[in-house]
Amino acid sequence: MKAFAYINPANEKEAVAALSPQVEQSMPLGGGQDLLARMKDYVTQPERLVNVKTALESTVTPVGGGLRIGAAMKMADVAEHPEILRMYPAISAAAIEVGTPQIRNQATVGGNLNQRPRCWYYRNEEFVCFKKGGDRCFSPQGENQFHAILGAGPSFIVHPSSLAVPMLAYGATFRLAGPKGERLVPAANYFTLPRQSLRMENVLAPDELLTHVILPAPGNVKSGHYEVRYKASHDWPIAFATVLIAMNGSVVKEAKVVMGAVAPVPWRSAEAEQALVGKSITEATAAAAAEAAMKNARPLSQNGYKVDVAKTAVKRAILRAAGIQTA
Amino acid sequence: MANSEFDWPAKPSLVGTRVNRVDGPDKVTGRAKYTFDINRPGMLYARMVRSPYPHARVVSVDLAPALRMPGVKTALLVRDFANSKNNRVMFQGDEIAAVAADTEEHAMDAARAVKVEYEVLPHVTIVERALDGTAPAVFNGGNVRDARPAQAGDLTAGFAAAAKVVEGTYSTQVITHTCMESHGTVCEWSGDRLTAWISTQGVSGARENFASALGIPQANVRVLCQYMGGGFGSKALSVGAEGLMCAKLAKAANAPVKLMLDRKEEHLATGNRPSAESKIKAGVSADGTITAFEAESWGTGGAGATSDFPLPYLYQSKNRSRTHKNVFTNTGQQRPMRAPGHPQGSFHTEIIMDELADQVNMDPIQFRIKNLPPEAPNAMWRSYLLEGAAEFGWSKRHATGDKTPGPIKTGMGVSINTWGGGGRGPSPAHCEITSDGGVIMRLGTQDIGTGTRTLVATITADALGLRASQVRPEIGDTAFGVSALSGGSTTAASISPGIRVAAVKALDALKEKVAPALGVPAASLIASGGRIHVENEPGKGMSWADACKQIGPQPITADGDWRAGMSSSTTSGAQFAEVAVDIETGIVKVKRILVLQDCGLVVSRLTAESQVYGGVIGSLNFALFEDRILDRNTGQMLNPNMEWYLLAGMSDIPRIDVRLKDQPERGVIGLGEPPTVATAAAIALAVRNATGVTMRSLPLTPAKVLGAMRQTRA
Repeated sequence: MKAFAYINPANEKEAVAALSPQVEQSMPLGGGQDLLARMKDYVTQPERLVNVKTALESTVTPVGGGLRIGAAMKMADVAEHPEILRMYPAISAAAIEVGTPQIRNQATVGGNLNQRPRCWYYRNEEFVCFKKGGDRCFSPQGENQFHAILGAGPSFIVHPSSLAVPMLAYGATFRLAGPKGERLVPAANYFTLPRQSLRMENVLAPDELLTHVILPAPGNVKSGHYEVRYKASHDWPIAFATVLIAMNGSVVKEAKVVMGAVAPVPWRSAEAEQALVGKSITEATAAAAAEAAMKNARPLSQNGYKVDVAKTAVKRAILRAAGIQTA
Repeated sequence: MANSEFDWPAKPSLVGTRVNRVDGPDKVTGRAKYTFDINRPGMLYARMVRSPYPHARVVSVDLAPALRMPGVKTALLVRDFANSKNNRVMFQGDEIAAVAADTEEHAMDAARAVKVEYEVLPHVTIVERALDGTAPAVFNGGNVRDARPAQAGDLTAGFAAAAKVVEGTYSTQVITHTCMESHGTVCEWSGDRLTAWISTQGVSGARENFASALGIPQANVRVLCQYMGGGFGSKALSVGAEGLMCAKLAKAANAPVKLMLDRKEEHLATGNRPSAESKIKAGVSADGTITAFEAESWGTGGAGATSDFPLPYLYQSKNRSRTHKNVFTNTGQQRPMRAPGHPQGSFHTEIIMDELADQVNMDPIQFRIKNLPPEAPNAMWRSYLLEGAAEFGWSKRHATGDKTPGPIKTGMGVSINTWGGGGRGPSPAHCEITSDGGVIMRLGTQDIGTGTRTLVATITADALGLRASQVRPEIGDTAFGVSALSGGSTTAASISPGIRVAAVKALDALKEKVAPALGVPAASLIASGGRIHVENEPGKGMSWADACKQIGPQPITADGDWRAGMSSSTTSGAQFAEVAVDIETGIVKVKRILVLQDCGLVVSRLTAESQVYGGVIGSLNFALFEDRILDRNTGQMLNPNMEWYLLAGMSDIPRIDVRLKDQPERGVIGLGEPPTVATAAAIALAVRNATGVTMRSLPLTPAKVLGAMRQTRA
């Protein structure tokens, strides 16, 4: 690991001031579950780390019928928070599945949303890919069984955040603090596709901090969240989905379908949502919506199975949202 | 063999019982010191420099930039790369140099500062390309080597006699040992005498290895391994390049040096289980007899290493032929890995067994029994299959393909195993009984995590009528005498006889001291329940403490060695698996495993069961998770970690029921490898029974399960 300076700012303002506009020069450190591992593997080599665990809020505050979550909140605390569970159960469900208890006791909300891809080309220093300032993505011609099936190219990473998916579904807004003050960015505009920004996965500038997640009042929605993992212990999902539905009698009035681990961003499927509106939820309508969610899937040489897995995740999340038991 | 007082007791007090690990408290409190925990005054830390390329010529190596880094004391090449005959690196992770510095961090930075100029050469890492000739010719003498063919009977006649014929291609992947504790060494010199603490499966072998490689007398080398975190074969045969570099750096720096490998180095350069692929064609007669078994197989053991495995495994066919090709690739060399060859042979054979059974509408158990060698004490599969079937609920097993509606399909599978596991000498043990009642049993073996200390204490205490905690086992040090390496499931069978002989002799000497005080002949005395007393007259004797007071200032000492008749070899076992497969995700969940396994005389029941649990979990990992994944273009490993190199966690491990089949009359037989052979095939067959789709390739990833189901539907 390259030697680095360590800054321990007292508050948000000091923390922002300690950052740098240069990429990966001065970096915020939350729970360190991603960043420290990248530093040990010589993938990311900052000059300076800025500890934001104390400078940023780690609490939940009611605001305008919704909740505001501090970026320094631990994943374990998110998973166990009664108000989050009551108002946004899909967020609790996503949080409790992340990593291991040890990881959840360290990892923060800001870190989970801003962690870098788990792509094995990115994570091994032998491969200088787009994400490391290189000139290519190794996965299309290489080993791509865990890579993107939607919205990808020229990089084929999948977005690694579990929280981003339900947060996007619930219409979260992220508060960013930078040298010129704060800005509010809806989650839907926060994450960026490789064709918009090849090296980074979001609009956060190197000298900005994600300080809060602001969740609007959930409204009268039912939610379903379903993750498919190869291993039951400590593994990344192959595909997962959050589904929110608002009912009008026995038919769906409005639906949100967001998928994770299938695209370089948390992927909202308008096709699946349209397929649900006006329908009652049955195994057949759920399967049809899942089919619609994968209509534009473009698998690579080895990840075609992810299309099936993602369909299953979407279908079962829909059924769960409707209170129907699934495998 | 004539009866002798050293024979295993007919009614043991401790042997075969459930004795808690005597070093359990030391392990859970951290008092147990592993090689990683050894710290010596003034010790330096070292790191290796390795090739990032699978095949390259080392044009030049400049150590100077590393030597200029902060805290660096010394740096050495592993060999002279100026020699044009010996300047190629043959796999990613091949050793170049090593650097020692005052801190681990400085050593890591310095290792990266060594300037190596490579001429990258064409590589071969894909077995198929080596076989079809499209890969570059890398290895002198060819990338592909034919092993000896084997033939028996008349294949043509065998197929002519077949009612049905099954053909298939089967494969198992390269996996790595992934010991929790990495390979590593601490070396300290005093003049021309070397002390080495090393994570090794054989302290005696390591002493020979250090001495011959360093050109010093074996008498000048002392090797210690008190505790180690996993040895599955990769730490058995050599101290490795890293062990020798550690010793050389310590000499050059004139300071103790610690050199432990990291996880990536473990995956790349410390051995693996070779891949195995086969094309099998087998014929079966209407009555369920295998009439012909024709197999071509191949596999890679890496750069210049073999990959053979037994095929067919255990089942008999009068007419058979087998050819095998060793494919050399630019990958790290294989090393023995827990039951070398058997897990591969088991999978390739057992899968086609169920395919053949279905062809003639026979139950897999009846079909297996039909084709097994005759039942014998070392070939008990028939009994275990029938007994296991009754306990497991095999009669509830449905025919191939679960017809239950819904995405979750369940199924059962069964598979069998064997292993040698014999013991041999010399394997001396030394016993001391002191006047304060203390008992030391000292021998030069090592505990590779299996619980050897507990076995030593159990046998000794059993002979002396004591509790296991009253014995101090002293092991893991070449100063304690020679001992065989712990490999091939040979430790228990090698060391147990000598321990008992030494303990019985020491007790005889104690009886001689006690007899005059009691006024009885020594021969009338026995040790039992913490007392020395006249047989059948517990009142006529004295407590262990009082008895030992008769010893005087000079302790009793006695030596024993391995004796024929107290151990034997060759085990049998059967394993049953039940799985649930989600056919909409391809995820396999193992629900339960039942193991029936013998190992002769069970010495330490808890550690024996623990061996079985570990073996089953290892084989489950082989079935579902582990896979060394190389980039097809660069040949570099993509998952040299424990994130994408998958291993079962607690939630992935099913209920495992272990039925040890005691055969005390056979003496001690090792149990390290047998339980890790059969699980993978049993799981794959349970998946076949659940889904109706034959899985011929490991690991059973969601991609493969869904792919196979899609193919079957098409």
